[in-house]
Amino acid sequence: MSEIKEIAPNKLVLFGVLGGLLGIYLTYLFPVLGMKIGGNVGGLLKVIAPTFGALGGICAVVWGADAVRRVSKYGLGTGVPSIGQIAMGMGIVASMFGIAIMAKFPLAGPVVSLVTASIIGLIIGWFAQNVIKMKIPVMVRGMTEIAAAGSLIILGFGVAVAGNFQFETFVKMVFDDGLILAVFWIGAVAILHPFNATLGPDEKQKRTTYLAFSTGAITMTIIGIGAIMTLGLSGAITMMLGIILWVIYYKKFWDEVYKDASSVLGTGLIPKTEA
Amino acid sequence: MVLDLTMSMAILALMGALATIAGCLEDLESDVGSQSNPNSQVQLAPQMGFLHRIYNKAISGEPVSNGLSAVTAGTVTVVLLDAKFYPLMAIVMGAFVGAIVLGIFATTSYAGRVASQTRFKQPLYMDIMRYTTPSIIGHNFIVNFCLVSLAYIQYEILAYPFSIPFLALIWGITAGAIGSSVGDVHYGAEREFQNREFGCGLNTSLSGRIVRKAESGLRNSIDNVWFCAKFGGPATGIALGLVVFLSSWPATIMQPKTPADYWKTIIVGLLIVFLLIIGNRLVEYNARKTYGPYKEEKEAAS
Repeated sequence: MSEIKEIAPNKLVLFGVLGGLLGIYLTYLFPVLGMKIGGNVGGLLKVIAPTFGALGGICAVVWGADAVRRVSKYGLGTGVPSIGQIAMGMGIVASMFGIAIMAKFPLAGPVVSLVTASIIGLIIGWFAQNVIKMKIPVMVRGMTEIAAAGSLIILGFGVAVAGNFQFETFVKMVFDDGLILAVFWIGAVAILHPFNATLGPDEKQKRTTYLAFSTGAITMTIIGIGAIMTLGLSGAITMMLGIILWVIYYKKFWDEVYKDASSVLGTGLIPKTEA
Repeated sequence: MVLDLTMSMAILALMGALATIAGCLEDLESDVGSQSNPNSQVQLAPQMGFLHRIYNKAISGEPVSNGLSAVTAGTVTVVLLDAKFYPLMAIVMGAFVGAIVLGIFATTSYAGRVASQTRFKQPLYMDIMRYTTPSIIGHNFIVNFCLVSLAYIQYEILAYPFSIPFLALIWGITAGAIGSSVGDVHYGAEREFQNREFGCGLNTSLSGRIVRKAESGLRNSIDNVWFCAKFGGPATGIALGLVVFLSSWPATIMQPKTPADYWKTIIVGLLIVFLLIIGNRLVEYNARKTYGPYKEEKEAAS
């Protein structure tokens, strides 16, 4: 495993944080720009803005899936799904706290959410390491990253449904109609599935990362369907783009599978082994 | 909506029936793909040199994956209902989308897990992929349909204060949890170790030594679901159906309006729980007397 060059964790952290925040803030910036420019271009900017929230969400999914991978490599077999769930649990608390406390200055909301999530993750990671004594060296860092990624996933996909990250709009458009459950649960599966599905001694980061893009795109598609109800055309664009991204990365994942698998057979008997 | 006693009993019966079908099909769907508890042995087998032709559906645990398909179905249903679709049509289309999404996750987990076992020479059988995945999708479609129907009944007729995706998610998690605890035993402990004495327990030395040959030819996941459909699936269905039926029955039959009525309802509910505890204890006692205790040393030697 060591001879294969892997993407450094720090690079993926940067990708997740910058990509996630950029996506979330573009949903705010584009409508403002649209108002200034006006006309057809302005209108277009306004319509496509929420889609960028979902793209930011995908960046956070890729980062989160890699963080799950690094923590779970220490023999967390059945614990992988639990990690995904705890990520979203920490994420939803932190992101709601962030945008609620910053209701007067909405622009600071996402950053406050991210910081809060990191602190919650740090505390839980510290507890897991020093109180429960799980003896996983990357636990504290991993938990911090997972919680932060969780908050960006909730905000990113939530913004794709609500259109902006003002607390009142968020509660009305995402919570009241139950779409937050889709964001929460499908987002959790999106970050826990990539490593859970490629678990094994010959797991490779490239394949897991492509799968993370693919699960993120599935989340984006379903969130897009949900957003058709709240935002109309913007939701349809999110859904279509989600399907396109999914096709691309699902194909890439399969290419890696064909390359990595011991043999791919149409059918046939079981090869002979010593047992 | 205010219902009279007959109508509420009818609704309760319908909910119980839907839950029974959902529970049964949920367990069979997890057996088609060897999910949750039986999965660990399917995953371990190549490592012990036992290559096989069994599907490895490691999406996540059953509660999580069923929650995923149910909440997807619920979300799509809500969107279609909002677009003024006829409810039955909306539920069917929602259930279909949920099942397709689960099917996609199933393919990636089988391909991913097999590709991560290269050093044990486990081949990726494409025919298994092609004819097992549609079976997973089909089973899951029925589960989603029943669960979202339950959620719709609760939301629309019984006027629950929660949204349809929320209720569907809770039902999905419940169905998955019950399928995981009731039905899996029948596949994991029995079907995979059919060539051992009944009730012998799983010794560590047997890990990964699963049965790989069928009545004719090599065993695959469709053979497993055929076996589980005889007992494991229906037992799960009855368990989920009873959970729904017995938990709602006191409130339906009493139709509580005053505080005294509420207390009576709670007491009837507690009485049911108490009777179930006694029943469970009797079954356990009987099983221990008939089959136990484990004959550890003798099993390892034989």
